[in-house]
Order: sequence, then C-alpha cells, then structure tokens
Amino acid sequence: MSITARLAAAAALAVAAVPAMAQELTINSFGGAYEQAHRKCVIDPFIAATKAKVNIVTAYSADAFAQIRAQKAAPQYDVIHFSGGQEIVAAKEGLLAPLDPKLVPNLAKIYDFAKEGLATGQGPAYQIAAVGLVYSADKMKTPPTKWADLLKPEYSEHLVLTDISNGYGMIGLLMLNKISGGTLDNIKPGLDAIQKLLKQGAVMVSKSPEIQAEFAQNGAWLAPYASDYAHTLKVAGLNVKFVPGAEGTPASFITTNLVAGRRNTELASKFIDIQLSAPAQACFADALRYTPTNSETVLSAEVAATVVYGKDAAAGLMRFDPVAIEANRSAWTEAFGKAIAR
Amino acid sequence: MTDRRETWLLLAPGLLLLALGFLLPIARMLALSVDGPDGFTLSAFARFFQDGYYPSILWRTVWLASIITAICAVIGFPMAYIMARCNPTLRLWLVMLVILPLMTSVVIRTFGWMVLLSRSGLVSRTIRDMGFGGRSFQLMQTETAIVIGMVQVLLPFMVLSLMGVIGRLDPRLEEAARTMGCTFLGTMRSVVLPLAVPGLVAGSLLVFTLAASSFVTPSLLGGARLEVLAGAVYKNVTQTLDWNFAAAQATILFAGIALILVPYLRLGGNRHG
Repeated sequence: MSITARLAAAAALAVAAVPAMAQELTINSFGGAYEQAHRKCVIDPFIAATKAKVNIVTAYSADAFAQIRAQKAAPQYDVIHFSGGQEIVAAKEGLLAPLDPKLVPNLAKIYDFAKEGLATGQGPAYQIAAVGLVYSADKMKTPPTKWADLLKPEYSEHLVLTDISNGYGMIGLLMLNKISGGTLDNIKPGLDAIQKLLKQGAVMVSKSPEIQAEFAQNGAWLAPYASDYAHTLKVAGLNVKFVPGAEGTPASFITTNLVAGRRNTELASKFIDIQLSAPAQACFADALRYTPTNSETVLSAEVAATVVYGKDAAAGLMRFDPVAIEANRSAWTEAFGKAIAR
Repeated sequence: MTDRRETWLLLAPGLLLLALGFLLPIARMLALSVDGPDGFTLSAFARFFQDGYYPSILWRTVWLASIITAICAVIGFPMAYIMARCNPTLRLWLVMLVILPLMTSVVIRTFGWMVLLSRSGLVSRTIRDMGFGGRSFQLMQTETAIVIGMVQVLLPFMVLSLMGVIGRLDPRLEEAARTMGCTFLGTMRSVVLPLAVPGLVAGSLLVFTLAASSFVTPSLLGGARLEVLAGAVYKNVTQTLDWNFAAAQATILFAGIALILVPYLRLGGNRHG
C-alpha cells in the first residue's frame, strides 16, 4: 500500500466516522438565485424533517465533477448536482452509487425520460431547463409556434441568436441544425442556417444580459432561449413570453446523484427523495421556472403557462447527447467561429 | 566593488519579478505551444495557418491596434502640448480630467459605450435620423465601435507619455523659431514634434501593445462576430480547453507585436541619442 493510498484510507475512515456521531450531509449547489431557491425548496424542508446538518459547497458542474473525481478514494460529497451531463461520465467511472427505490419512494413518480440512466448509476433529473422560443408579446401579435419560425426572413432583423460558448446557445444551434436536416455528426446545416439568418440582419450575442438589452432597448422580438431566462426578463419588467417549439423541446437536465463510497446513504437518499417530491419541484418552478420532472407536481396556472409542464409537453422534451457535445465542443466552436465571422 | 553590489541589490527585486512574472510564464507558454501528445509538434501553428480564418483575426488585431494608436496620437499630441504649456492650475485640472476615467473599471466605461452605440442608443439614432445608415443601422458590433471604445480607454497613456516629454522642452526653442519668422504650425512641425518623438514612441508602444492584447472592450463592443486574437486565446483557454492552441496563438501575437515594435523602438532610441 502506497503512502497516498494509506493516507486516503485513513481520511476515508476519519470521514466515515463522523456521520455516526452527527447527522451531516455535504452537497453542492450553483450559487446565487439558484442556491437561494435550493435552500428554500429542498434544504430547509430536509433539515426540518431530519434535523441533520447540511454543508453546501458552491461548485458548478465541471468543478464539482473534477472534485469528486479527485476524491475518488475518499469522497467528501454525499449528493452531487450536475447540469452539463457529467453524471454520464461519473457513473461510467464508478463515482456514483445507484439509488435504491425503497429509500427514494418519489422516484416512482418521476417521468421515465428523466430517469433513463438509473440502471447505470446516473441520478435522475430533478428539474429541466427547456429551450424554446422567447418572444416579445407586445411586438409579435401572432406568437411563434415552431422552431422553423426562427428562419422566417421577416423576423430576422428582430432575431437574437446566442453563440456556442453559451450552454443554451449550443442547444439552440443543435436544434436549428436538426430542423435543417443536420445530425450530431454533421452540424453544417445548422451553421448554414445561422449564417443565413445573420446575413438577413439577426444579431449574435454571447451572454444572457445582452439578450435582455436587445429585448429592452434594441427592438428584439424573438430569441431561441430557455424558459428560466424568459422569466428573468419578465421579472425585469419586459412583456416577454416563452413557448416550446412544435418540433421538440431540447433541454438541459439538472440531475441529483448519490456519491459512491459514503456511509450515510440513507440520509442522502432522503435528501434526494425530498428533492424529487412534488412540493419541492413546484417550489423550484415557482422561483426559477424550471420544468418539474415529478409527474404529480401541481403548478399554479400562472407558473404553468410559462414552463413546459404536464405529461404530454414534458414527453416532447429531448436531450442532445452530452457526451457527443463534449467530444465535439472544440471542433464545433472553431467551425462556429468561422461561420459567423465577418 | 560596493557600487556594483549596490546596483545588483537595487536591481534584484525588479529582475526577480521580471523573471518570475514574465520570463518564466513566457517560457512555459512557448513550451506549451509546441507540446503535443507525442512530444514536440508544430501542429498548433499549422492549424493557425491552415486557412484564412485565424490569419484574418491576427490581421484585424494588428490593424485595429494601429488605427487606435494613430488616433490616440492625433488627439493626444495637441492635448499634451496644451497641458504642458498652460498654467499649473489648469494643468492640474486637465491631468485630473485625463486620469479620472482610469479610476473607473474598463468594463463599466465599455458598458457606457454599449448604451450609446446600440441600435436605440443616442449615437446610432442620431446617425439614422440624419439619414445615414438603414433602418437597423447601429454602431455596436462594428470595428468602429471597438476603435471608439479603445481610444477612450487608451488615450490617457498617450497624453501622459507625451506631456512628460513636451513639458521638459525648453519653451525658448519655440520662441526662437517664432522670432525667426516661423509660423505656429511650422514651429510645431519642425521644432516640437521632432523633439517630442521619444514621448510619441513611448506612448504609441503603450497604446499599441495594450490595444493588441485587450479582449474585454473588443468582445463587448465588437460582439461574437468580430474576433480579435486575445479573445480567441481566451476562448481556447476557458471554453474549449485547448491550451496548446491557445499558447500557439499567444506566441504568434507576441511575435507579431515584437516584430512591429523592434524597428519602432530603434526609431525612438536613435532620436533620443
């Protein structure tokens, strides 16, 4: 046994010894408004139910993944949340533990598409950021209904596109590519479509706040973007609405995962169960307008009108393979840069 | 002997900082740019020149930096002259006016320009109202916007470098030229300007290098479609995690700037001597 392995084993023992004395759980969250909602909807109810202590580490998906990978011998997280598909790789590397349906009863109520990877150890999606059409209700008397509407020349001068550096921009490109006849092996049709739209007068931005500026000041009517950001624009006072495109709604899944090699699996499962519960999901949808994945979630009419909601709508949700996206990111970024360059 | 030792002692902190903060990172960058999975490779450089895309970014970077430098010099020279020759109270105020913008973050100042230059902003709207430019004309996301924003950010460097040099010129030289029948503009051209060349060179160097290596202002004002090299490097470091290619681009930028600056430095050095 090498010294590092011995140290790691000692650390694992020391860490494992702690939960026996105090009920404690370590999780990651994403900071800002997200973490506030996380606290309110999941963490506080969990503490009230179990009297356990929760340590929240603010770490985005890529960072969190790097951490649990480095901690493989002595994991420090109990529950880990990902938004970029990291659970697929993490499960493959044996960093995650499969959930026990007996310990997570709410799992039965989760839509099937949101728990597809369960058998391989991936955690379920507890919420989904749906990407569709964000439009100005003041300017567009006939609301857009499908992705193909983005291609209409009469909208181009009022269209805002987001570049590939942005997660939702990536999804928007892949969806435009799909309706233009492309696949994940060939994104040329999508790039050609974007090139054409830019020629017709569309604007390309790279950050969310720029979309707000375009809608607020620069005569933008339409943008392919996420439902949660449409809500942000609305809160900022703009009459902006979100509608899913008829051809399908590509989505970014936010998953909750049980870390392998920790002792307090029961407590962590309880946490995940609360996270998957209908009240927690309704609370999250109310605060941030993410799509719930629990089929029994009840939303108020006001919230329901602004998110992809209900069995049928949720069934239209689709996911571009995160592994393919990661594998192609570098090449696509370069091709995208060339396509949009002036 | 002690003299020499003192010299080295005084130089040591600066040299150490230079070695740790400049030479070492540059060496690492150079190493990274030719490092591949199988050891030494020039593939990153080959990729840069494989088609016209990256060279066009390099060209835009150098070209914009040159225009920005030229405009800063044209605006900065008269300003620096007046600041050097006016009474001390006015000079203090003018210096404060020039330096004051430096106390605000460059991002904030750039956001100001974004408001003015956007489609419904004051500048773009005025130009449209005057009948120039089409219905959706805007200055945002154009090279003009980058130049305007960068000139405002970098002008103080030019003015301050020039002012230092012009302030040290003996005013009696100008008086002599004028008494000999030279016009004001003639005095400027044949007396002040040649003597101010070291300041002009120093200011241009500062402005050019800062303009060529900046990416915040170009990316905010130029948008995603007008890439500059520093922005491309940033993208490769943070988004596509392609550090070897980023290092190669940085090396090319570094070499490009050095290639332009060396003759320029010699120009300044000769005049100075």
